[in-house]
Amino acid sequence: MAPISIRGITKQYGRLRAVSNLHLDAAEGEILGFLGLNGAGKTTTIRILLDLLRPTSGEALIFGRDCRAEGLQARASIGYLPGEMGIYSDLTGQEVLDLLAGLDRQTVDKKRRRELQDRLEFPDSDLRRRLRVYSTGMKRKLGLIQAFQADPRLLILDEPTEGLDPLMQQSFYSLLADAKKRGRTVFMSSHVLSEVDRVCDRIAILRNGELVLLSTVEETRSRAARRVRVSFAEDTSAPRDLPPGSEIVQANPRLWNLKVQGPLGSLLRAMSGLAVRDIEIEEPRLEDVVMEYYHEGAE
Amino acid sequence: MSATFLLLRYSLKRFRTTVLTMGLLLSGFQMILIAVARSIQTSGGFEQLSALLPPFARELLGPSLTSFMSFAGIVCVGYFHLAVMSSLIALAVTIATIPTSEIETGFIDLILARPLARHWIVTRTIAALLLSTLVMLALMMGGTWTGLQVLAPKDVPWPSWKLVFSLAANLGLLMLAWGGVGLAIGSASQRRGVAGAIGGLLALAAFLLDYVGRLWKPAESVAWVSPFRYYSPFEMVMGNPLPAKHLLVLGCIAAAGFGTAYAVFARRDISH
Repeated sequence: MAPISIRGITKQYGRLRAVSNLHLDAAEGEILGFLGLNGAGKTTTIRILLDLLRPTSGEALIFGRDCRAEGLQARASIGYLPGEMGIYSDLTGQEVLDLLAGLDRQTVDKKRRRELQDRLEFPDSDLRRRLRVYSTGMKRKLGLIQAFQADPRLLILDEPTEGLDPLMQQSFYSLLADAKKRGRTVFMSSHVLSEVDRVCDRIAILRNGELVLLSTVEETRSRAARRVRVSFAEDTSAPRDLPPGSEIVQANPRLWNLKVQGPLGSLLRAMSGLAVRDIEIEEPRLEDVVMEYYHEGAE
Repeated sequence: MSATFLLLRYSLKRFRTTVLTMGLLLSGFQMILIAVARSIQTSGGFEQLSALLPPFARELLGPSLTSFMSFAGIVCVGYFHLAVMSSLIALAVTIATIPTSEIETGFIDLILARPLARHWIVTRTIAALLLSTLVMLALMMGGTWTGLQVLAPKDVPWPSWKLVFSLAANLGLLMLAWGGVGLAIGSASQRRGVAGAIGGLLALAAFLLDYVGRLWKPAESVAWVSPFRYYSPFEMVMGNPLPAKHLLVLGCIAAAGFGTAYAVFARRDISH
């Protein structure tokens, strides 16, 4: 049974269509990145999954359970990290974790919480402090602990690394890797494309409430053109014709910058007679493809 | 169910300082009123005040004059003084709008992302409202009891405990009625400030309507819509029993507010 199954969800606010006929499935054990510009409909979709918002039409299922009709059973297997941690500032971190653990149907293993605290460097002394003195990063760490502490089958994370320092980001990535190893499913929204490239198996891109791409990270990355920098030992004029898929971005007498889509073989063959001194090839970047999709005119 | 108790415990923990501080202040107010009544009593002020009134006024006010121009009458003022009523109504609306505050801050996202049905949020709020009302009234009556024990002059009739309980019960139901109104408004609102302001303005308008209705005949025909119409401390102080109809109407207003809150909260979108 798919951890997430979204079938034709539309959410309309008056004239504004926040999400439009969205179909999306997350497979068990995968990390699915949910991408889009601000206002694309990511948070609306997440809130529909949690039954905080009611869709205008369509349905969403969590492990086969309807998010609305069987919301309690559906949410029993979810760990959720909101984009903004709205918590009572007069409670201590410990009280927040205990309260939220008490509301979970799964029992929270103290050892598990301790392990999370250790990995996110969140000592008991910090847990005993009131939230009003917490920094943004501390609140984020607390948010991660509450989402992971019951070891849920499905993690829904909204901008999980927002406010985390680079070391804590690494710890978070290792938490994700462990969760994946144990067969947990992660559905996360993020604006950090390098992070998505690193941790996600698949990505879904929303634009103006519509799904414009659903693909594996590898496949998406392969759509990006490689950047090739060729330097020459002597002045070389740029050729009029290059093999299909290759395009000169900038050409100086001894240096060409090219974009190459697909295999490099034909380009290398075309340059075989030239006084090539060096070739630098940059791996294709996910970011290049995603940015294209973000722009209105992308295919 | 246990999740609701857990939520209730945390909500009460957050509100305990406010409720206890306000309760102790109102309890102190009861004692101050008793001290004032004692002072007037021992200086023979009640007779002098009564004598100062012209005969037509004494005739107009009738038995209510003797009821109020007495030690017991002044002690009872602590249960219908405008400051006391407005404090209790403000507290009721504040507690009733806890869910709105949780929506506004986003805390509700964390709670409702768990396997917890939405109606428990409303149930928790009603329970917090009931408990706070009981605590406030208990502290006020405790203040009255302590004040009478310590400050009341000898040989002066005290207000009967039946009268004090009747006043407290009617006041408590008035508080719950406004809590119900506040909860209904709050369950449909995004911002606590807005919900609180609407609740406060409604209470003020209802109070003025009741006041005008008591003074001006034409307004009386619409004054029945005001919940304040169903709190009649003067009649009780004059010796009339607590009208069951008043309790029923206030109870129905509270129940209608709670019912509306359940219905609206179950259907609404939760976004902040």
